[in-house]
Amino acid sequence: MSTDKITCNDVLNHICDNLDEDMDSPTCRAIKSHIAECPDCAVYLKSMKNTIHLYKRYPLPKPSGAANRRIEDFILKNEISRRNG
Amino acid sequence: MKTENELIKEILDGNTQAFTELFRMFEETVYSFAFKVCRDREKAEDTIQDTFINVYRKLHQFDGKSKFSTWLYSIVTNNCLMKNRQRKIDTASVSIHDDHESSPLQTSPEPDPLETVMSDELRVKLDNAILSLPVEYRVVFVLRDIEELSAQETGDILGLSVPAVKSRLHRARKALREQLSDY
Repeated sequence: MSTDKITCNDVLNHICDNLDEDMDSPTCRAIKSHIAECPDCAVYLKSMKNTIHLYKRYPLPKPSGAANRRIEDFILKNEISRRNG
Repeated sequence: MKTENELIKEILDGNTQAFTELFRMFEETVYSFAFKVCRDREKAEDTIQDTFINVYRKLHQFDGKSKFSTWLYSIVTNNCLMKNRQRKIDTASVSIHDDHESSPLQTSPEPDPLETVMSDELRVKLDNAILSLPVEYRVVFVLRDIEELSAQETGDILGLSVPAVKSRLHRARKALREQLSDY
């Protein structure tokens, strides 16, 4: 992508590659400066970060331990059958 | 505490206790990833079991060139994709025999206090938005944005090129953002 003239479309396509990543390359610096001057792209970037943030905040349940017991049974059966040849 | 590589070596030498330790080390990782993709506690529990049985059977195939966690994610992902296909079959058969709609969300009889931090309404919105994505896009979004794996690692896990990962990620983010624009 050329850094001469960055369009909103370039920004939208490129944000997805670089969100929360180091933006030090010439292309990324050009994108950064475009975002700084383009309210639409700034809103887009912010809302995308918000979306990701919401999913990261989603409280996760804990495993019940049922799988643990089933895995131990599975290993035990395998161990017995291995020892019995 | 032993490293995962030490545990793998011991398992391959026949030490089943080491497998239990490896299981404990990665159980929550597998469960949380499966839940993020399936949004269903029961399926996430089943995925733990299926994944570790696969690990037990296939560990000798792990060549150590990639990180163990990357290899593990590829097994979990395959199990999640298979469960998703199974769910489609189950849903189709239920719709023939049952008029009741089933919710993909599981409710706990005693909710974890942590869950009250986020409103029920928002959680339902987040679940519905991510479940509306094709599972192939959902997995990319979870691996890249939630688990924070690189595009290359995500591609290795899914057997996709980096541009294909980026394309799916872009579409997934766009679709989610559109559905969650009020938040």
